[in-house]
Amino acid sequence: MSQETDQDDQLYHLLAAVALQDRAAFRRLYEATSAKLFGFALRVLHKEELAEEAVQDAYVAIWHAAASYQMHLAAPLTWMVTIVRNKALDVRRRALADGGDVRVELEDADGLADMAAGPHELAQLSRDAQALARCMDTLAGRQRQAIGMAYLHDLSHSDVAARLGLPLGTVKTWIRRGLDRLRDCLSRREAA
Amino acid sequence: MNIRDNAPLRDRLAAEYALGTLRGGARRRFEAWLRDDRLLRAAVADWQGRLAALAELQRPVTPPARVWEGIERRLGPAVQPPWWQFWRTSAARPWGVLALAAGAGALVLAVRLAAPPAATPRTQQIAALSDAQSQTVMVVTADTRHRRLQVRVAEDVHVPADRTLQLWAITRTGKPRSLGILPDNRSTDLTLDARATAPDVALLAISLEPKGGSPDPNGPTGPVLYKGSWARL
Repeated sequence: MSQETDQDDQLYHLLAAVALQDRAAFRRLYEATSAKLFGFALRVLHKEELAEEAVQDAYVAIWHAAASYQMHLAAPLTWMVTIVRNKALDVRRRALADGGDVRVELEDADGLADMAAGPHELAQLSRDAQALARCMDTLAGRQRQAIGMAYLHDLSHSDVAARLGLPLGTVKTWIRRGLDRLRDCLSRREAA
Repeated sequence: MNIRDNAPLRDRLAAEYALGTLRGGARRRFEAWLRDDRLLRAAVADWQGRLAALAELQRPVTPPARVWEGIERRLGPAVQPPWWQFWRTSAARPWGVLALAAGAGALVLAVRLAAPPAATPRTQQIAALSDAQSQTVMVVTADTRHRRLQVRVAEDVHVPADRTLQLWAITRTGKPRSLGILPDNRSTDLTLDARATAPDVALLAISLEPKGGSPDPNGPTGPVLYKGSWARL
């Protein structure tokens, strides 16, 4: 689904070099992507030390898995984000098992609305992310909040319902309608 | 339940699977369908892509230097190239011109290797394939007399054990044609056929593929590592 951009192209070449164990290319890949991925891990985990752990786990995995990256399945950054998300969720599960205090903060859930604040911030994003930001804006605030919470914190329908203090059925419907709407909005943009 | 013919339901389940809200028995059933439904897997990949863009909407934060140091520690020391390959270390970038000269040297050597005096082959076309840093790592020659496509790979090309290098002819319009995979990912001779020497072939390229070669007959699925123009002699 992703359209190729200069950024995709650059990351794609770096990943190809990393697949052949090129350390210098790996360093450049890290420099090009670590701020985005660390910002994302912080958002999922809220604690700096946990986010650092997740990002380290993710880059070690990226180093070893670069050879199995398949460009026709995902844009390079999408592939890396998926790895960071999995590692962040693992880190959180471990922290919870060790009796750690891992909060899921409610107050930032609607922060999804302000993320794509100004045109300047939007211009910094990849085409996929710009499209998503614009489409997220078309959702009702509560749909956006429920989808954002579920994705960022890996919550089930009933977790989201409990945290928002709402009936389960209501949350299921919001998420379903929100996803339908996102899909329609994104495919309209792709077609345009 | 058969969901094959229910397009809206398929997409809804793919979305909830990617989001993580499909749980328990429903998730296990969905994963069983995924195993033999390529289109369903593609729908999940689409949704993972859409949702991954959420990560980019977060404020970027530069991680402290210790994060990179920790990664390096865990990967262990980098494998150093042999000392005589001075052009491969990044400190030696000003030597780029020499690297090119070395590439040209390799070409001459390859042509000589390909040309034992006994039965003089006819080298009709040649390509020096280089990586993104313009380092020559492979030389390909077409020998029309013996109908052979000779591929010579530099010693220091290391390919993960579960991957295969695949050679492609790329036409002027950008259409790839597979010329075969390199057994053991080392130097080899492939049978030359007209698809390699057709007048519309502009480039040769190498991609990194799963064992056995690209699952897609129409082109590479892995990254294109090396390429070079296919020159007529």
